Amino acid sequence: MSSFKRDKKEEEDGGGNPFQNIERTTVLQEARIFNETSVNPRKCTPVLTKLLYLLNQGETLSVKEATDVFFAMTKLFQSRDVILRRMVYLGIKELSAIADDVIIVTSSLTKDMTGKEDMYRAAAIRALCSITDATMLQAIERYMKQAIVDRNPAVSSAALVSSLHMTKFAPDVVKRWVNEAQEAVNSDNIMVQYHALGLLYHIRKSDRLAVTKLVAKLTRMSLKSPYAVCMLIRITAKLLEEDDATNDSPYFEFIESCLRHKSEMVMYEAAHAIVNLKRTTNRELIPAISILQLMCGSSKPTLRFAAVRTFNQVAISHPAAVASCNLDLENLITDSNRSIATLAITTLLKTGAESSVDRLMKQIATFVSEISDEFKVVVVQAIRALALKFPRKHGVLMNFLSAMLRDEGGLEYKASIADTIITIIEDNPETKEIGLAHLCEFIEDCEHISLAVRILHLLGKEGPKTKQPSRYIRFVYNRVILECPSIRAAAVSAMAQFGASCPDLLENIQVLLARCQMDSDDEVRDRATYYSSILGTLDKSLYNSYILDPPQVSVTSLERLLKEYSHADTREPFDIKSVPLAAIPSPDEHEVKQKSEGMLVSQGPAKPAPVSREENYAEKLSAIPGIQTLGPLFRTSDVVELTESETEYFVRCIKHCYSNHVVLQFDCLNTLSDQLLENVRVQLEPSEGYEILDEIPCPKLPYNETGTTYVILKFPENDLPNSIGTFGAVLKFIVKDCDPTTGLPDTDEGYEDEYMLEDLEITLGDQIQKINKVNWAAAWEEAASFIEMEDTYSLSSMNSLDEAVKNIIQFLGLQPAERTDKVPEGKNIHTLLLAGQFRGGIDILVRAKLALSDGVTMQLTVRSPDDNVAELITSAVG
Amino acid sequence: MGLFQKLAHFLGVKKREVNVLVVGLNNSGKSTVINKFKNEEDRVAEIVPTVGFSVERFQNQNLAFTAFDMSGHGRYRDLWEHYYKDCNGIIFVIDSSDRLRLVVVKEELDLLLQHPDVCNRKLPILFFANKMDSKEALSSVKIAAALGLDKIMDKPWHISASNALTGEGLQEGVEWLTQQIRELILTKN
Repeated sequence: MSSFKRDKKEEEDGGGNPFQNIERTTVLQEARIFNETSVNPRKCTPVLTKLLYLLNQGETLSVKEATDVFFAMTKLFQSRDVILRRMVYLGIKELSAIADDVIIVTSSLTKDMTGKEDMYRAAAIRALCSITDATMLQAIERYMKQAIVDRNPAVSSAALVSSLHMTKFAPDVVKRWVNEAQEAVNSDNIMVQYHALGLLYHIRKSDRLAVTKLVAKLTRMSLKSPYAVCMLIRITAKLLEEDDATNDSPYFEFIESCLRHKSEMVMYEAAHAIVNLKRTTNRELIPAISILQLMCGSSKPTLRFAAVRTFNQVAISHPAAVASCNLDLENLITDSNRSIATLAITTLLKTGAESSVDRLMKQIATFVSEISDEFKVVVVQAIRALALKFPRKHGVLMNFLSAMLRDEGGLEYKASIADTIITIIEDNPETKEIGLAHLCEFIEDCEHISLAVRILHLLGKEGPKTKQPSRYIRFVYNRVILECPSIRAAAVSAMAQFGASCPDLLENIQVLLARCQMDSDDEVRDRATYYSSILGTLDKSLYNSYILDPPQVSVTSLERLLKEYSHADTREPFDIKSVPLAAIPSPDEHEVKQKSEGMLVSQGPAKPAPVSREENYAEKLSAIPGIQTLGPLFRTSDVVELTESETEYFVRCIKHCYSNHVVLQFDCLNTLSDQLLENVRVQLEPSEGYEILDEIPCPKLPYNETGTTYVILKFPENDLPNSIGTFGAVLKFIVKDCDPTTGLPDTDEGYEDEYMLEDLEITLGDQIQKINKVNWAAAWEEAASFIEMEDTYSLSSMNSLDEAVKNIIQFLGLQPAERTDKVPEGKNIHTLLLAGQFRGGIDILVRAKLALSDGVTMQLTVRSPDDNVAELITSAVG
Repeated sequence: MGLFQKLAHFLGVKKREVNVLVVGLNNSGKSTVINKFKNEEDRVAEIVPTVGFSVERFQNQNLAFTAFDMSGHGRYRDLWEHYYKDCNGIIFVIDSSDRLRLVVVKEELDLLLQHPDVCNRKLPILFFANKMDSKEALSSVKIAAALGLDKIMDKPWHISASNALTGEGLQEGVEWLTQQIRELILTKN
C-alpha cells in the first residue's frame, strides 16, 4: 500500500497527470524488467500501472505485443509482494481478451484463490474467470463451488459475481452451482446475499415455475440485505407484469409490505415498482405515492432525486396521482441541487395547466445553462410533451428551444432539440415557417454532421411547400460553399428537391447545380450531375420517381445482390425489381424500450441495429435446396403461434412470400424431456387453388431444442381471390421415448404420432410489402393512368375513427403516408392514405375516406396497374 | 559487483536466487517432485494436473530456487519456450514406466535443446527418471540411452532415478543441480 500512497501524493504535488506523456512503445520496453531473474516489485509496480493506464485510455496492443507482455507478467508470480500481485491480477484481466494462451496462469490463480492469503483470493477469482473459457471451466468448477460458499464474504461475492459473468459463455456449467448459490443466499453478509440472489435468479430466469418458487420462498424468508430485497422486488414486479394476476396476489402484497420496510432504499424500490406497474389502480397507488411524497421532503438529496425522478417518469401515465404532489414539487424547484430542480420543473410542466407554462419556462431559463446535457435532454423532452399538449404555446416554446440551440451542447442534446422542433412542425402547421427558420439558423453554425444532414433533408422535404421557398435556398447553398463533403452532398439533394417541386425556381437551381458539378468531392459531383440531368428533362414523372420519391430498397440486400450480379453474367441488365424493399421500422419498438427502462435487472448490451426481417431470413432460406429457385424473397410476415405457449410442442409459423410462391417456416420446440422426435413435418390442408410443391422435414428434434421444417406452396395461378385462404395444419412426427437425463432413446423403434395445430391463414397483408411514400399526392397523380376501383363500405363494428384506421392498416398491410394514420381529435371525417407493393412488384395506392356516424362509413379508392390486384383489395375489405 | 559482495557470495553468506524450469510430459510427476522439495508445512496434500504453470519456491544449500512448474499437457507444451530465456537450469521429469511415450519425450527434449534460447547456453539439465518403484519402470541407463543423452555435449546433464512419492533419489539430483548452478554463477562472476 505504501507505494500506492506515495503515487497519490506525487500526483497532488505535481498538480498534473504523471502519466500524461507516456508512450506505448516505451512502456512495452520497460516491461522487459519483468523478465529479470529476481523480480523487483518497486520497479515493476509502476510499469504495470503505466500499462494499465494506457489500456484504459483506449490504447490498443497487437496480439503479439499483448502476448509478450502477458507472458512477461506471468513471471511476476514469483514475487510475494502483495501490491505487485494484485496489479498482476488487474493486468491479467485487461489483457485476457487480447493476448493468446492466457490459460497459462490458470494453475497459478487457482493456487492463489485456494491459498491462505485473503488479500489474493477474491481478486484471483475475478482474474481467473476472465481467462477461463467454457472448455476450461470444468477444471476449476470444484474451486468455484467451494469459493461460492466460502466463509470470507469478499471471496464468496467475487465467486458469485464471476459466475454471473460466466453464464454468458457457459450457462450449463454455472447452472450446476445452483445449490451453492442457494446456500449463499442464506449468508449473513448483505453483499453476498444480494449477489447470490442475482446469480440464482439469472440461472433460473428462463424457467418461470422456478422463479415463482424462488420468489414465494424468499418473500416469506425476510432477507437481511436491503440490496437483495430491492432485487427481489424487481423480480416480483416482473412476475406481476408477466402474469395476468390481479393485484391482490401475494406478490403485490409483498411489494406493498416493503413500503413499510425500515430501509429507505427498499421503500423507494417498492414505491417505484408499484408506480411503474401497468395495471395499478388508484387505490393501490396512493400509499406508494405518499412514500415518494415523503421522500421529496427528505433531507437527503439522493432520496429527493430518486423520488422526483420517478414522478417525472410516470407523470404521463399517472398524471392525476403526480398532480396531487404538485405542492411538494413546487418546493423542489428552488432546490440547491440543479438536477432535482430540473426534474421537478419538467414534471410540473408535464402535469401542470396551460397557465403555469410561462412561469415555469422562465424559471428553467434561469439555470438551464448550469445543468448537464443529460438533464437538458430531459427539459427538451418535457417541452416536446408540452408543445403537443398546448399547441397555442408554441411561440414561447419555440423561442426557448432556439435559444437552447444556440448554446453549447453535445450531439445528443442538439439532436433532441432538433427532433422536438421537427415534431412540433409536423404536428402544428402554423409553426412550420418559424421552426424551419430556426433550424436554418442552426445549421449555419452546426458542428454535428449527422444533424446538419438531417436538417438539410428536412428542408428539402418541407421547404418547397412553404409560401416562399426561395428564402431557404440561400441557407442550403451556403452549406455547399462552407461545409464538408457529406453535408455538401446532402445540400445538393435538398436543392434538387426545390428544383423538382417549384418550377419557378428551376432555372436558378440548375445554375447552382452546375456550379456543384465542379466540386472536389466525387459524391457531390455525382449527385449534382444526376439531379441536373433529371431536372433537365422537365419530365414530371421522372421527377417523382427519382427525386421526390426515390425507390426505397433495402440497402443491405442491394449490396448483396449487386455483389452476386457482378460475379455472375453481367450481360443482362441488373433488375432493381429483384431487390426487396426496405422494411419500415415499427414505431412501437422504440416505445417498448423506453418503457422497460429502469424496471428490471440489466438490459444487456445495446442491441445491434435492426436489420430488415427479410434480409435476416433471406440468408437462411437461400441455404435450403429448392428455395433459391423461387426468386428473391418479397416479404416475411410476423411470427404466428400455432399452439398455446405452454403445451407439449410449441409451434410457430413464419410466412415468407415470394412472387409466385409462399414458403411456410414452422419453428417447433419440443418441451417433453422424455421424448425424442424424428422426421418432424407439418401436414397442411391447403385451401382451393394452392399447390404444395415440397416439404422439408426436420430430421431430429431433441428436448428443449428448436427445429425447423418448411413447406413450399405455390399461389393459385391467375386466381387472386383464392390466394387468401385458411389451411388446416397437423404436426406429424415419430416419437422415440428416451431417458430424460441423457436424451438417448431407449429403443430404436418409435411410433407415429400427430398433434393438431391451429389453422393457418394467408392474408392479404402477407402478400403486400409496405412502402413509405414521402410524397403520396404526387404518386397518386401519376397513378391516374392505372386501373382505379372504388367502393363504399359501412364498418358497423367500429366505434371510432382511430379504431377503424388501425384495423384497416393492419388488414391491408399497407403503409400509411403523410402521417394520415393519426386521426386529429374531435373530427368526424378523415382521409387515410396508404401505399404498398403487391408480390411481383405491383404498386398499390389506396385512399380511404372515413366518416363517423353511428359506425364508420368508408369510401375506398384503389389505384394499381393490375386490375386483379385492385379488385382483390376492394373485395377483401368487404 | 563489488569485491565485498563477491566475497559474501563466495562464502555463502547471502542467498542467491535462481530460476529453474520444470518440464516433462503430463502425468510424469513434475508437481509432485517440486512439492517434495518444499518445506514440510508448505506442501499440498493433493496434486492436481497443472493448467498452464505454477510458481513454487524451495531452498537447497543456500540457493533459493524459484521453480516454474510447467504443465505437461499436449496443448500447453508449446508455452514452455516463453520461460526458457531467463532460467538458470532445467529439470526434466520422465515417467520411466511409460515406455510407449518415450518417443514423445525424446521429441520434446530435442525441441527444447534446439530452441535458440537454450541451444547456445551452458544450461545444466537434470533428468529425473521418475516412478522408479513401478514394476515396468526402465532403468535410468536405459532411459538415457533411449533419449540419446550421450549426444548432449555442450551442456552438463545428470540423470537420476527417483520416486517423487517417497522422495527417493530427489535429493541426490537436486544437489547435483545446485552444484552446477553454483559453479556457473561463480565462473560468470
